[in-house]
Parts: sequence; structure tokens; C-alpha cells
Amino acid sequence: MGFIKGTASYVRFGVEGDLPENIWDFIADKVAAFAFRDIDETYEEDSLGWVSVLNMFDTEFDYASYAAGDFVTLSMRLDERKVSSVIVKKYVQKEEERIKKEKQIPKISRSMRVEIKERIQNELMRKALPVPSVFDLCWNLENSTLIFFSTNRKAQALLEDLFRESFGLTLMQQIPYVCGEHLLEEEDVERLARITPDYFV
Amino acid sequence: MDLVDLIAEKRFIGQEFLTWLWWKSEERGGVVALPGEGDIVVVFEKHMLLEYGEGDNNESLICRGLQTELQEARTGLVMGKKLEQARIQLTYNDYEWNFTMAAALMEFRNVKLPKTGGESGNENNPEEREGMILERIFLFEELTRLVLDLFRLFLKIRVGDEWRDELVKIREWVNKAKKD
Repeated sequence: MGFIKGTASYVRFGVEGDLPENIWDFIADKVAAFAFRDIDETYEEDSLGWVSVLNMFDTEFDYASYAAGDFVTLSMRLDERKVSSVIVKKYVQKEEERIKKEKQIPKISRSMRVEIKERIQNELMRKALPVPSVFDLCWNLENSTLIFFSTNRKAQALLEDLFRESFGLTLMQQIPYVCGEHLLEEEDVERLARITPDYFV
Repeated sequence: MDLVDLIAEKRFIGQEFLTWLWWKSEERGGVVALPGEGDIVVVFEKHMLLEYGEGDNNESLICRGLQTELQEARTGLVMGKKLEQARIQLTYNDYEWNFTMAAALMEFRNVKLPKTGGESGNENNPEEREGMILERIFLFEELTRLVLDLFRLFLKIRVGDEWRDELVKIREWVNKAKKD
């Protein structure tokens, strides 16, 4: 969070690739096609898609548009069902004990153990409530850059994938060296490529 | 070269920039002249993180405290550590931002935007909502632009002939930490 309220942490990306002429129609189509789908009433493990920056339940952008001047503001929402490994372990052991007693066997075979673990994991996953995470972004259409309000690497990787899938555009993280390539004249970029670390003492 | 290799090989550029900016701001008592923009106030405060070594051998040193206690961080530089994170106060055109710069990846962390008095709190009005969003976009973009202008200033010197002279001055400043 942080884009709309409070303090914020962010990284910058360059947006690479061409947009069609009717930019806003294209974006409207793609945002709708890749809008977030709720999985509360299903057994799906996770869901990823676009929602409004002002309301994570708004996938139609009725409450607030994603367009603000020459900027596109969106939130990437991820809902994930998670079960802690400690819980899985507990219920697997419990089930193993139950089966041993029921079948009166001293030991559970390896293949059966794998089957039990898979079954228990699926059962627990179905019971788990999807945990939501929301990450905001602000895409500057004029200079093809994007601010992403998270320094979390996993979230950044998810964004790169969702953005490519949605708009067919590639995000390039603007680390200092890449920034430098955009900021300097061609001749200086060549010199930048050659510099090596200097000692400040 | 892919991004992972670029990050590893070129992380020194961001760290050198941050160290240079610290020196540059102290050179004129917190004021840096930005070509085309005029003076901009850049103050390094409270929190710094220095790094030493690479990969698994990476060590870090955290310095907190008031301005004068940043001496410890400069001593870290003398020991060959590199400045990786710093809390910075940046003032320009009556706007004041506070943020932590993580140098290697140029991440803006815990950014506190300037107070503008423009927040009326009426979120039910769509126009006011858009106005609020546009204002925050402007303040984030403006901070980014100013930092990139400072970065461009550094890079031009860093790849140019002036760098040798600049480096001598920075070394004098760093080495002063030994004597102080």
C-alpha cells in the first residue's frame, strides 16, 4: 500500500513495447479481461488480477476509474490459500495413526504415505480461507515508466508476469545502471559501461 | 547481460551515487545546486546502512542517531564499507520529502510525502478522489524526477574527466573522519 495513504515504498520500471493507437480502449479491454476473480466460493488455490486502487472489491472500476490524467493507476490483487507445513504435518501424522489402527498394520508404506500427504494437503487447502495481498501501481503513459509500490521480489515477479500477460508489454526494473542508460547521452552511456568501482579512501 | 548479472556487477554505481550525494550535500551545508532547477536541500539523517563484502560474506553496519553521530558511518567508509541505505530529507519549492534510498537497486523506501493541505477527507466526491490521486502521483513523480536529476548530475561527473578531481575531494572528506 502507500500509494493512496501514508508512507510508501516503491521501485521503478520501464515499460517496453508498443501500445496501439487507441490506447484507452486497449487498456479498458485488457484490464477487464485480466480483472481479479474472486475465489472465496471455489476451491482454487490462488487468483491474481487487477482491482481499483481505492477499493479491492471493485473490479468494474465503478467507484473510481483507473485513469488519472496520463496515468493508469491499478492494484494487483493476489488471493492465496495457504496452509502451514506444521499443520499439514500434524494432520498427516494423525491420519497415518488412524490408518495403522484401522488396518492393524505396524508401518505405512512409502507410496501410501505419499498418497495420504497429498490427500490431506488438498483437504486442508480447500478449508483454508484465501489470504488477500494488494499491490498498487502507477503507470505513466507519457514517458513509459511505472512505479510499483512494493519492494517485495515475489510481488515484483508476479507483476512482471501479469503485466506481460495483460498488455503484452515488458517491464524492466530501473536499477541505477539501467536508469543511467536513459539519462545519459549515447557517448556517455558507452563510458558508463566501462567504469569500474572506485575506492573512496 | 541479463538483469540478475547487471544488478550484481553494477550495484556499486548506486552505492557510489549515494556516497557522493552525502559528500555533495555536506560540501555546502545541505544544499546541492541542480542545473536548471537551482538549489535543492538534501540532508542525510538518522539512519544509514553500510555494506562490506559480497554475496555470502556480506556484512552490514547500521548507524542511527543525530547528525553528529553519523561520524560512525563515515568511519565505516574509511574501513572500506559502502553506503547502501540512507534516510534523506529533500526540500525543493516548499515541498519536503523524507525517504530512505536503497542504493544498489534504487528503491525508494518509507517515502513520506510533503504536507500539502489539499486533503479534505471527502472521499465520496469522485472529483475530489481523482484530485487526491493526481496530487499524490505528482508528489511521487516529482521526488523521482529530482532524485534522477541528482543521479544524472553524478553520472555525468562520474563518466567524465572531472571525476578524478571530485574523487580527491571525496577522499579528503572521508579521511577527515579518521582525524576527527
